[in-house]
Amino acid sequence: MQNTDVKNREQEQISELITINMGPQHPSTHGVLRLVVDLDGETIADVRPDVGYLHRGVEKLAENRTYHQFIPLTDRLDYLSSLSNNLGYCLAVEKFFDVKIPERAEYLRVILAELARIASHLVWIATHALDMGAMTVFIYAFREREYVLDLFEIATGQRMTSSWMRVGGMRDDLPEEFFKRLGKFISILDERVDSYERLLTKNRIWLKRTKGIGYLSREDALSYGVSGPIMRGSGVDFDLRRDEPYGIYDRFDFEVPVQEEGDVYARYLVRLKEIRESKKIIKQALEGLPEGPVMTDDPRVAYPSHEEVYEKMEALIRRFYIVSKGFKPPKGHTYGSVEAPKGELGFYIISDGDAKPYRLKIRAPSFVNLGALPEMSRGHMLADLVSVIGSVDIILGEIDR
Amino acid sequence: MGVMEHKFSDNILTTSVDGLVNWARRSSLWPVTFGLACCAIEMMAVGAAKYDLDRLGVIFRATPRQSDVMIVAGTVSRKMAPVLRKVYNQMPEPKWVIAMGSCATSGGIFDTYATVQGVDEIVPVDFYIPGCPPRPESLLDAIVALQQQIKTEKILRK
Amino acid sequence: MNFEDIKKKVGAEFPEDVFFSEKHGCRFLDTKPYAFKKVLSFLKDECDFEYLVDVVAAHWPKRKEKFDVIYNVFSITNKIRVFVRIKIESDAIETVTDLWKSALFLEREQYDLVGVRFEGHPDLRRILMPEYFEGNPLKKDYPLKGRKWFNETDEQQLGISFSK
Repeated sequence: MQNTDVKNREQEQISELITINMGPQHPSTHGVLRLVVDLDGETIADVRPDVGYLHRGVEKLAENRTYHQFIPLTDRLDYLSSLSNNLGYCLAVEKFFDVKIPERAEYLRVILAELARIASHLVWIATHALDMGAMTVFIYAFREREYVLDLFEIATGQRMTSSWMRVGGMRDDLPEEFFKRLGKFISILDERVDSYERLLTKNRIWLKRTKGIGYLSREDALSYGVSGPIMRGSGVDFDLRRDEPYGIYDRFDFEVPVQEEGDVYARYLVRLKEIRESKKIIKQALEGLPEGPVMTDDPRVAYPSHEEVYEKMEALIRRFYIVSKGFKPPKGHTYGSVEAPKGELGFYIISDGDAKPYRLKIRAPSFVNLGALPEMSRGHMLADLVSVIGSVDIILGEIDR
Repeated sequence: MGVMEHKFSDNILTTSVDGLVNWARRSSLWPVTFGLACCAIEMMAVGAAKYDLDRLGVIFRATPRQSDVMIVAGTVSRKMAPVLRKVYNQMPEPKWVIAMGSCATSGGIFDTYATVQGVDEIVPVDFYIPGCPPRPESLLDAIVALQQQIKTEKILRK
Repeated sequence: MNFEDIKKKVGAEFPEDVFFSEKHGCRFLDTKPYAFKKVLSFLKDECDFEYLVDVVAAHWPKRKEKFDVIYNVFSITNKIRVFVRIKIESDAIETVTDLWKSALFLEREQYDLVGVRFEGHPDLRRILMPEYFEGNPLKKDYPLKGRKWFNETDEQQLGISFSK
């Protein structure tokens, strides 16, 4: 009896992995992410992400809505930078028709997309620093974000989820007040980002908590399919805006920040540099902004103007048709992608000639990036897992759709 | 209050004690952070510097055992519903629930196979805030309204 | 290397199995089901397609080939994107997790939502829907508002029930 007792106790001591649950409701998992962590003492042996706590069925909803009606749903995917998602979706649908977008609309699209990138990176640094205990950065970054949200509200009427892009251009032109405030904002942005750098970049606590943590090698980055700042932090020099340009990004002169180390600190530096580069792009776009319409007049996609609708019968019928039934793209498959702040956001649309898509797949960057989380966190301690999650910059709306 | 609750009639002593307890409860409402989706970002923006929640006594606590109110901000899917109910059960009395945004109120635009159409199917809700996402002023209005409701509660009195 | 060179190389290696087309701004390689993995590993090893972007599956209930599976691969060195399309009759197909590790999550998601089984996947289980869920939501016969399964399991014995 006693011998088997001792033997059982020895057996228990050999299998020493404790499985703990970082549950869906947790202050630092950036949303409803559940992580099942296998611990060997304090060191992580394996992490299994369990997602799906925010699954809302967006892809099934896309099969029951017309192409136009789906635009507000794309807002709610990566809700920190909703105008980028709208842009990606509109680009994908425009590939079916090969529409010519007016020049002013292209420039305004670039300005709004880069503002969305700045807004998203500000929330990233606020929450990442807050998880590590630096609460001041949270207050500072949200102060800048309030500027950007004010700009969005002047332009579109809504702070966060604005749905301002349309297939073929934009919904309406932006008011004069927007450009005045935008000029003021980009003139103060650099010194504000300098203030975050003064707080964090050479801070001994920050360096100890981020240097050497969460290492992802170049081969793993390519194999796991990560995109965006994680890929650039591991030494892969790739950016969709420069290498597969969409819109008019090939006219702007900007650098793509790349770091070789592949740890949390490298990704932090990449994202801070990206905010500065976005500011450069906005400045160039403001200088080159032309006058003109903001919506195409291609009759397959856009509805006729108000004057025509009030005077001509065909224009009235066309407007009713497009608004109630929706425009019908040709049969086939297409794909459109943008460089969202989190990575490559893509929409794969299969159309069977109807006004509603047959199948719409959203290639969410955070979903694929999360696949690399087990690789990045093996061998670190439990507190480092919080740093790694912050640096992957996940957003659950995208992962679960 | 336990055994003394709802036992006494109105007089100067009981109204003063009730006034004191209600003042203490409404001036330090500590919510448990239950931000699920987009409304969570607006909730964080309310807690930040421009619309400050700290001046109302609100500090976000991560643990339900030490909080008074649960602000459900975002869409509740079927997979998350038992977690929501468990966290609600873990909160001690007195507790209130604010449903923030269209998705928590009624499912919002996500009328699909995986979304709970309104969080009041799981927990009893005191205040609903419409909007997608609601403006920060709406959340402040809801918290102030909750404070007004707490002001008129009867604890010792019948 | 541009698309013409890739056409020549892949066409020389697999003469009858691959059809090339370019439509709506995208380049497609239509392959037969028995050859697709060889085509994909040829693309990865010989043509520098080191990056798997996406795996998409679609359900066509009225067609003989019930499922469409599309692999979206990208080459960073040549900056070119190619879509490899396959049509399969049954719902089983080989996995590509040994070529690219991003397929681990992407294939699990298509298994969960559309119902295509990937043989050889190390950990094929549901990822977005809960484990006790039965069915595949993105199949065409699953209703959009099918919420009857809400009340079937009370997995944590909390006594909650749904009415809408």
